[in-house]
Amino acid sequence: MNEATQAEEIRDNWIQDNISRKNAGDVLLALTGYRDNQIKTHWLSADGKMKAVTTTCVDAQFASLSPSMPEVAWDEREIHDLFGYQPVGHPDLRPLVRTPRWPDTFFPLQKRSDDFAQWNDVEPDNPAKVVEGEGITIMKVGPTHAGIIESGHFVFSIIGENILHLDAHLFQNHRGVEKALESLPIQEAKPLISRICGADTVSHQYNFLSAMENLAGRRVPESVEWQRIILLESERILSHLNDLAQIPAGVGFTVAHQRGLAMKESWQKGLAAIFGHRFLFDAMYQEKMMASKKEQLQQLLVSLETMWMKWRKLVSRQQGFHDRMHGVGVVKREDAEQLGAVGVALRATGVSVDMRTIMPLYRHNRIHIPQVTGGDVEARFQVRLQEVEHSFALIRNALEHLQGKNQEASWRIPDDLTGEVVSYSESPHGLNVHVVQMKNGVIERYHVRSGAYRNWPVLALAVAGNAVADFPLINKSFELCYSCADR
Amino acid sequence: MNQRKKSLQLRHVDAGSCNACEQELTALLSKDLDIQHYGIDVVASPRHADALVVTGPVTDTMQPALKKVWDAVPKPRQLIAVGDCAAGCGVFQNAYASHGGVESALKKPDLTIRGCPPDPAKILDMLREMMQN
Repeated sequence: MNEATQAEEIRDNWIQDNISRKNAGDVLLALTGYRDNQIKTHWLSADGKMKAVTTTCVDAQFASLSPSMPEVAWDEREIHDLFGYQPVGHPDLRPLVRTPRWPDTFFPLQKRSDDFAQWNDVEPDNPAKVVEGEGITIMKVGPTHAGIIESGHFVFSIIGENILHLDAHLFQNHRGVEKALESLPIQEAKPLISRICGADTVSHQYNFLSAMENLAGRRVPESVEWQRIILLESERILSHLNDLAQIPAGVGFTVAHQRGLAMKESWQKGLAAIFGHRFLFDAMYQEKMMASKKEQLQQLLVSLETMWMKWRKLVSRQQGFHDRMHGVGVVKREDAEQLGAVGVALRATGVSVDMRTIMPLYRHNRIHIPQVTGGDVEARFQVRLQEVEHSFALIRNALEHLQGKNQEASWRIPDDLTGEVVSYSESPHGLNVHVVQMKNGVIERYHVRSGAYRNWPVLALAVAGNAVADFPLINKSFELCYSCADR
Repeated sequence: MNQRKKSLQLRHVDAGSCNACEQELTALLSKDLDIQHYGIDVVASPRHADALVVTGPVTDTMQPALKKVWDAVPKPRQLIAVGDCAAGCGVFQNAYASHGGVESALKKPDLTIRGCPPDPAKILDMLREMMQN
C-alpha cells in the first residue's frame, strides 16, 4: 500500500468510525487534541461503556468531522487555534479562541513552554459572519454589557425587528485554563478545577475526583457517594433557581424575578452555613462533615420548599407570563440532536437524555426525566421547574442513606498517578466532560468540555427569526455560562 | 458637600471571571441587600458612572475593551477590583491569556475587595466605606 492510500484509509476510518458511533445512538463526550499529533473522540453508550476513536495528524492535518457531525465544528476550530492542527474540509475555519493579538507562531497547547514575547498591539476582533442584502442591518453587542453579565460579543444580522442570524463571538474570557492545569501538582489543581465555573463547580469537582479515583482504583465509600449526590443536586437547585429567577426578568415580571432571587439567596446562605461556601467551591473535596449536618440540611430543604410552593403558584397563575414564553426561541428536536445539544435545552425538545441515568453514582436512584416538548422558552422553564422538585426528592432520599456517624478524614489523591481517563456528569447546564492524562502525578493534558459549550451554537440557532427584543429572554432561558465554555 | 457621599454609580466589566463574582454583584441588587437604598446603583453606560467595577484576572481579549470602558468613565473616577482574580491573587493568575489582575492590566485599583468570591454583604460594606472617604 502506498502512502497516499494509507493516509486516505486513516481518514475514511476516522470519519466512518465516528459516524457509526453516532448512528448507534452513543453520546459524544469529547473531541480532544493532544500534543503528539493525536486526535481522539470519546463516545458513551447507554450501558455506560466508553469507546475511543483515534486519528493521527499527518503534516499537522486531520480529516474534519464537521461536514457530517456539525456538533464538533467548534471543537475542531478550537484544536486548530490551540494546537495548529488543521481540520481538512471544515466549512468555517475562522478563529474561535485565538484573536489577531496572538502571535502567529503561538499555539499554547502544542508546546510545554510559552514561547512568545508579547501580544500583538491590535484589536482582538475576529471576522464576523453576517447576512448581506437590502434592508439588512448589522448590530454588534458587547463584549462589555450594560448590566452585570459575563463578557461575550454578539453580531446580529437584522431585518426589520427580526434576527436573521446571530454570530456569537465568545472566548472573550479565555484565560488558558487547560494549559494552566498542565504540569500542576495534583493538590494544587484542586482549587483551580473548582473555579472553572461558578455555576457548575460541583460538577467539575466531581469529574476531577472521579477521574483521579478511577486512576487510583479507589472504591468510594457509599456514604461519600450519597454526600456527592447531595452536593450535585444542591448545585442543580441553586443554578436552576437562578435561571428560573432570571427568565421572568426577561419579560419584566419583576415580582417573580425578585422572589426567585430571594429563594436563591436563602438557599445559598443555607449551603454556606452547612458546606462552608455560597457556591460550594471545594465542597466535594471535604468528605467527613456531612452526617452531622443532616438535620440542618433537612430544615433548609423544608424552608426552601415552603417558599418554592408559593413561588410556583405565583408563576403558574400568570397566564400573560406563559404567553410571553410560548413559541419564543424554539429549538427543533432534530436540530438539537444534530447540533449535540445537552441538558435542559435538549430535554425541552422532548429528548429523554440525562447523564444521571448512566452515571454509576446514581445507580440506586430512579431518575425522572421531565416529559416536555416544544423546545421554546416555556419548555425550558418547565423542565427546570420539574428538575428542581426532583432534586428535592433526590436529596431527601440521599439524606436517609447517610449514616449517623462522621466519616474518617478525606481521601488524599496519590501523588504518582499515571494514565488517561474520561469522566462525566450531568451539570446544571448539561453533560460536562473532563478528559485527563496523567504521568507520574503530573497533569499532561486536561480537556474540559462543559454543557454550555455544546449549547451556544444551539442558542444562536434558537434566536434566528425572533424579535431582537426577545434576545434577552431567549438568552436567559438557556442561561449558558461563558466561563466554562471560554476556559 | 461631596456628592459621592450621597450616591455611587457603578459600571461593571467582567474581564474573565468564573461568574461567581457576577452572581454576588447581582445579589447586591436583590431586595435582601438592596444597594439602591444606599444610593449605590449599577448603570448601563460608563459615561454615567463614578466608578468602574472589574471582576476576573483580565484576559488578553478583554483587556482592550476594559481600557476603552475605563477611558470613557468621566473624572473624578474610581477603579474597583472585586474578587481575588481581579485583585491579582486568584487561581488563574498564571494562565497564559490572563494579565494577572487589574493592577498589572490597567492600573492600581482605588479599592480592592478580596474574596473568592467576596460575600455580597462585604462588598456592600466596603463600597459604603469608600463613599464616606
